Amino acid sequence: MNAFLSMVPRFADAMLVTLEVSLLAAFLGMIGGFALNALRMRFSKALAIPYRTYVWLVRGMPYLSQLVIVYFGLPVLGLTMTAAQATIVSLSIYAAAYFAEIFRAGWASIPHGQIEAARAFGIGRRAAFRAIELPQALAFAVPLLANQVILVIKESAVASIITVPELTMTASDIVASTYTYIGPYAMLIVCYWLLTQAVALIAARASALIPFLQKTS
Amino acid sequence: MNTPDLLTRCLGYLPQLLAGALTTLWLSAVAVLCGFFAGVFIYTMSASDSALLSRAARVYVSVFRGTPVLAQLLVFYYVPSAIGLTLPGVVAAAVGLSLNTAAYQSQILGAGFRSIPRGQIEAARTFNLTRRQTLWRIEVPQVVAVTLPALVSEMIDIVKASAVISVIAVTDLMRVGQQLSSSSYRPLEVYTLAACFYLAITTLLSLAAHGYERRLAKRI
Amino acid sequence: MSALPILQLKAVGKSYGATRVLKGIDLDVMRGEIVTLIGPSGSGKTTALRCMNFLEAYDEGEVWIKGQLLGYRLNGRAERIRDSDESIAEVRRPVAMVFQQFNLWPHMTVLANVAAPLVLSKKIGKGEARRKALAALQRVGLEHKADAYPARLSGGQQQRVGIARALAIEPEVMLLDEPTSALDPELVEEVLSVIRSLAQDGMTMVMVTHEMSFAAKISDKVVFMEAGKIVEAGPPAQLFGNTRTPRLQQFLKPWFDRSLSPTPTSTPNADNAATTGLNPPEAALIVTVTGRGA
Repeated sequence: MNAFLSMVPRFADAMLVTLEVSLLAAFLGMIGGFALNALRMRFSKALAIPYRTYVWLVRGMPYLSQLVIVYFGLPVLGLTMTAAQATIVSLSIYAAAYFAEIFRAGWASIPHGQIEAARAFGIGRRAAFRAIELPQALAFAVPLLANQVILVIKESAVASIITVPELTMTASDIVASTYTYIGPYAMLIVCYWLLTQAVALIAARASALIPFLQKTS
Repeated sequence: MNTPDLLTRCLGYLPQLLAGALTTLWLSAVAVLCGFFAGVFIYTMSASDSALLSRAARVYVSVFRGTPVLAQLLVFYYVPSAIGLTLPGVVAAAVGLSLNTAAYQSQILGAGFRSIPRGQIEAARTFNLTRRQTLWRIEVPQVVAVTLPALVSEMIDIVKASAVISVIAVTDLMRVGQQLSSSSYRPLEVYTLAACFYLAITTLLSLAAHGYERRLAKRI
Repeated sequence: MSALPILQLKAVGKSYGATRVLKGIDLDVMRGEIVTLIGPSGSGKTTALRCMNFLEAYDEGEVWIKGQLLGYRLNGRAERIRDSDESIAEVRRPVAMVFQQFNLWPHMTVLANVAAPLVLSKKIGKGEARRKALAALQRVGLEHKADAYPARLSGGQQQRVGIARALAIEPEVMLLDEPTSALDPELVEEVLSVIRSLAQDGMTMVMVTHEMSFAAKISDKVVFMEAGKIVEAGPPAQLFGNTRTPRLQQFLKPWFDRSLSPTPTSTPNADNAATTGLNPPEAALIVTVTGRGA
């Protein structure tokens, strides 16, 4: 019991690190993805191929692969960063691709007739984007966005490989020093599960608050 | 950077990377296959009349989808040694990946199962097909046909997820990358090359899925 | 000759939750008899049919097939408990069903569909199953479609395959659940003619249908159900021509009205009308029901 209790503060700290890294990367990724999609829609001719290439690359490789390229590979070109920095940078770039695709789907879900109507009534591009497209695209995307945040949290476990002191790293540390396996790893599973369930719950509550998310597709 | 030198170096890495890629591939295939049958099993549990079984299935899916693969693999690799059983990394990886994909496949297949008209199952019952026969001869073939693109997508995910088995002593593509990188002191080249291998695998699987979807669309 | 009925329902009842759908159904079906169940929707006729092969588990009463109780048995304490799946399968082996929605298995060819119950029962080999399946397909006139997939067939053809599938297991009783209700009107006749020829060959049938003239011509006994009970049962001449129940008259009225409008197939029998005092279509009906087959 004592051993169990002594783990709790360490796991609490580790959970904070996991949250910091994941939520920051998710946030940056969401903004980045949104911007990428917006730019793609605005300059579709020029950006279509670069966008597709970027998404193909990021989604075609494991995240671990991308992390090690950033952390071990970039220093060769003179770019060094801490493990945490490398994680946040690579995880943001990784997440941005997925978020961009989610926003793309969100916009694709808007019946084209609405955009035509806006144009016919002389509503400018900017205004139409803000008032007509954005709300509907977001409503469609919210469950997918929440799910992606959960995926980012899970993916952050990989950072343990480059010794970022997040949950998985901490659990392995405790295992190595105490030679007990079941306690720390059970705790690890529970911590992640609580995190992901919490995010899912928050997302569900949030979408309940937005009225027109209630409509079934 | 001397390009011919770079090329020779890369060619030098190829054999080992290829071996690692093959390990990645066959482990992923094993996981997807075992996961398929486990997924069918979990789905039938979740659709069962027994509240206990369907609850257990839901908990299983929630845990395996709500926690990182890496954490699951660490559990399957290290916990057995706590009870005196040493599992080789490959076995732990296969078990962990299979159980993981089973959770996702149970959801994919579930949608397929629910799309089969009840009348077909009723007909099977009246013609005295056993439940097992109805499941495997009537339902599963149709479910696979309908969910194949989603299943291939899941296989792509497994290939990507498999990269973390490098942590539990499996010489997969990622592990080879790590080994080569530390022996050659050229991490950028090695890891980039390894990444290309992953890209090739996932892209080929993607194209296969698209080809299948187009063929399906033509038949209708 | 008082033989044992091949299919017997004794005081059969069925409830869905609080709703009582069948309220004590008694029915005897003799070998070779054609029995038709008619009635408004919600009358329980389909539920009654589905209890006859335990597709629905009835709650009260008994269903006997060839002298064996279907679905239940007595345990050591002489209480009625639900029978095992194997025993149920054994008791209902002589019964085959044809469905309103055909319920063919789309991933199998027509031949595979018809042979599947035979192959999967493991009692006969694949070669013999194939032969029987082809024979059944010949009987319904579709042996040339053996290698096609159901999706390529018309509704009428699919239903005939469904009939072939039922025939292939060499049943002693066929249950038909509104076999033509899901068909476009021009496809109905091809299915009815197959059913008619099976009846002429002596197959025992229990059929739920809305095809009144067909029911009138082909049946030995017509059963009118309403609100879960049998209101009237008897030969077609009685139910369609000389019914005792006002409710049945009311139910049949729209059909009689429609028969009065000129149709290419019906030929009003004016002589009969004069002698019996009935409307021409009803009179025509009386004449035709006296002989089996039409």
